[in-house]
Amino acid sequence: MTRYLIGRLTVFIIAVFLLTVFSFSLNYFFPGDPITNMSGVRSFQSNYPLVMEMRAGNENIATQYLHYLRHLFAGNWGQSLSNGTPVFADGFQHFMASMELIILALLVAVTLGLPLGVFAASRFRQRSDKAVISLAMIGYSVPVFWLAQLMILLFAIKLGWFPITGQINPLYGVEPQTGSILVDVFLSNSEYKAAAFQDAINHIVLPVLILAIMPMMLLLRLMRNATQEMLQKPFVKAARARGLNEWRVLVKHAIPNALQSVLHQTTLLFSLMLTNSIVVESIFNWPGMGNWLIRSIFERDYPIIQSAVLMFAFVILFFNLLVELYHGWRFPIVRHEQYATR
Amino acid sequence: MIKAYATVAAISAFLISGCQSEEPSPAPLANGIIYCSEGNPDTFNPQLVTSGTTVDATAAQLYDRLIDYDANQQKFVPALAKRWETLDNGTRYRFHLREGVQFHHTDYFQPTRELTAEDVQFSFNRWLDDTSLYHTVGGSYPFFSATGLDQLINKVVKIDKMTVDIVLNNADSSFLANLATDFAIILSAEYAQQLLVVDRPAQIDILPIGTGPYRFESYRKDVLIRYSRHPDYWREGPGIEHLVYSITPNANKRMLKLVTGECDIIPYPLVSELKALNRKELQVTNEVSPNVSFWAFNTEKEPFNDPLVRQALSHAINREAIIQTIYYGNAELAQSILPPTSWAYDDRGIQYRYNPEKAKRLLQEAGHANLNINIWAMPVQRVYNPNARRMAELMQSDLAQIGVSARIVSYEWNTFRRRLSRGEHDTVLIGWYADNADPDNFFRPLLSCAAVATGGNRANWCHPGFDQLLYSAIATTNAEERKALYQSAQHLLNQQQPLLPIAHSKRFQAQQKDITGVELPPYGGINFRLATKQTAEDDSQ
Repeated sequence: MTRYLIGRLTVFIIAVFLLTVFSFSLNYFFPGDPITNMSGVRSFQSNYPLVMEMRAGNENIATQYLHYLRHLFAGNWGQSLSNGTPVFADGFQHFMASMELIILALLVAVTLGLPLGVFAASRFRQRSDKAVISLAMIGYSVPVFWLAQLMILLFAIKLGWFPITGQINPLYGVEPQTGSILVDVFLSNSEYKAAAFQDAINHIVLPVLILAIMPMMLLLRLMRNATQEMLQKPFVKAARARGLNEWRVLVKHAIPNALQSVLHQTTLLFSLMLTNSIVVESIFNWPGMGNWLIRSIFERDYPIIQSAVLMFAFVILFFNLLVELYHGWRFPIVRHEQYATR
Repeated sequence: MIKAYATVAAISAFLISGCQSEEPSPAPLANGIIYCSEGNPDTFNPQLVTSGTTVDATAAQLYDRLIDYDANQQKFVPALAKRWETLDNGTRYRFHLREGVQFHHTDYFQPTRELTAEDVQFSFNRWLDDTSLYHTVGGSYPFFSATGLDQLINKVVKIDKMTVDIVLNNADSSFLANLATDFAIILSAEYAQQLLVVDRPAQIDILPIGTGPYRFESYRKDVLIRYSRHPDYWREGPGIEHLVYSITPNANKRMLKLVTGECDIIPYPLVSELKALNRKELQVTNEVSPNVSFWAFNTEKEPFNDPLVRQALSHAINREAIIQTIYYGNAELAQSILPPTSWAYDDRGIQYRYNPEKAKRLLQEAGHANLNINIWAMPVQRVYNPNARRMAELMQSDLAQIGVSARIVSYEWNTFRRRLSRGEHDTVLIGWYADNADPDNFFRPLLSCAAVATGGNRANWCHPGFDQLLYSAIATTNAEERKALYQSAQHLLNQQQPLLPIAHSKRFQAQQKDITGVELPPYGGINFRLATKQTAEDDSQ
């Protein structure tokens, strides 16, 4: 396991290093002054010489990169070019808002997608299996932006159940502290916490649902195929021969083994969700990373663009690392396969 | 696993229960109004801008003026000045200030005194006096330089604690009208002084203090502005506690948010979808508003320096079609740059009727058979022009019929205006929205020689005779005489045709039925001073 751990960590660190090199070089690819692109301080501002010195603007490129790294790890990400707010604090709130959406959606996808997949596998090639699997096919193929429009039309306009923009009705006066709205409501000192909480839930339902659909359908199909494959294996036949009932065969033998291959796919799932979250956040005016990135691109706000890109890439790498580590720990066969040892 | 399923069940039950809320809305919702504005304000001080979005967000909510204009009675009414008199043949105005007017108490400023002459003097000197410490804070004062107010006022003199004199260089009958605009607001001199001490003068326009019906709470760019009621307001204030501007630049989304009840009021609803808004809980109001959209020719460039060419091009445009297609009939064909509601309007029937044959002939007379021009179309929606690009396309095909090929040019709004001021355009589709009731507001900021220098004159048209008429008109207070002068000015404009007036549009606003008292004054920005929200309890009584 130690060997596996070290191997994975090394790959992760190399990837992060390349990522910072890329984001550092972005400052030179963007038009204008690299120091301004890094720090958000324009050359006519009074603190520009100080920033120039802090970031070693007159030194060679390697020294500049080292200073860049130091600022990066100290959480000193410069300020926005358009309104001067510190990028790191701002980015943290956007990050939390996105994570809230993505984690809830992942939860919905897993809790609905996996059982449905098992269900379909246990009814393999029967009518209910075909119904579920064609539904999954449709759900997976529908473009997110179009689905969002349809859901808004149905649930918000026709039925009037849910609102369509933002995290909460602004009249509740909940100020962002962490960026994650459910936590913020909890932390706020509003007298109407319960009502505010319900309002926040109402706001979050549609975006979470829409974000969850695609990964849910993907999981469903993966789980169905994996479970089905396991059910064909000799050990399942043996279990059946021992007289175990179908339920125990599924729960004790087929599902745990099927999960192994499905789990590995969740990394793919996660990056898919991050991509989709950009679309969903723009549609629902959700103040997350995706929305932040899109706005900054429109406004040519270079410090924010590079920070947002960095955060996106880092989150994906980090999630991959976690899944791989868990995978290797939970299923020893994985790490054994990798090094061809026994 | 069983545990996991139980959690899922609990969560989904919770989610579903979250959707049904038929109980009366909790207090914060019943006591507040959400206005879905179309953009971020540039600043919180309307002295610094002419942008409608900023004025809507700040002027009438945070501040008061010395005097107000009452559009119903068509006269000036007291505000912070309880009365005023004209002295020295109209070159000195004396204002007696109201006692007991309180500034906002906030967590960033605690006023120790009420409004005095000092505050008025400070507020005027900020844009008037370039030796004032605050003059360079925040940059320029476009409204005051475009109207020439900064040249007109000689000085502001404090007579005693509650009396101020404003001394003019010459008599000007448009002076009071300019004082009643959204731009001539009163700031707190005490606050400015405190900020100087801590060396943060720029904060005065970011964390504003005024005497208006609402005080500033917080602002998050692209998200919202939060105001709360000013509890010690000197006159009748709003019936709500909170006012939130939810910033929603997308016009479709604004309509949807109104339908779902996330907005109480929206500006600029899409005219094309007004009919779809025909829901019983929604209400659409419109106001004939003093605005004009026009097509200005850059008269400094060949061949637009020739009036014959300008006339020819004016005859080539089918303006009736534009009114139907772009405004969906919710506008009036403009005969003059002045709207017909103005008392100085010169009614001569349709000028520059659509006539491609005549246009062709005039163009040949001028010796320009095959012209290549560009039309600059502004990239944003405005009251006077909901879709300049589409309008430019219609004009492009009209012009093609007389053998003129036109190219449409558009930039991002700030770049667009900057390049316009440099005179890079051939012709431009833009417009004007009056700030006050005086007809002078349509002429001097738009077509005077002074406005060429400030960039307000999009035609770069400087005609000494025309300027002479305008200055004679403001030098007299005799209404009949002024009317005659403005009519000859309009007549001259018609011959010279530096621009083709296209339409006077109606201004629309859509809102929930339970909101009352939100005024859409004909001059200037939206006003929430008397806004109230009827609660369910009020209905049952």
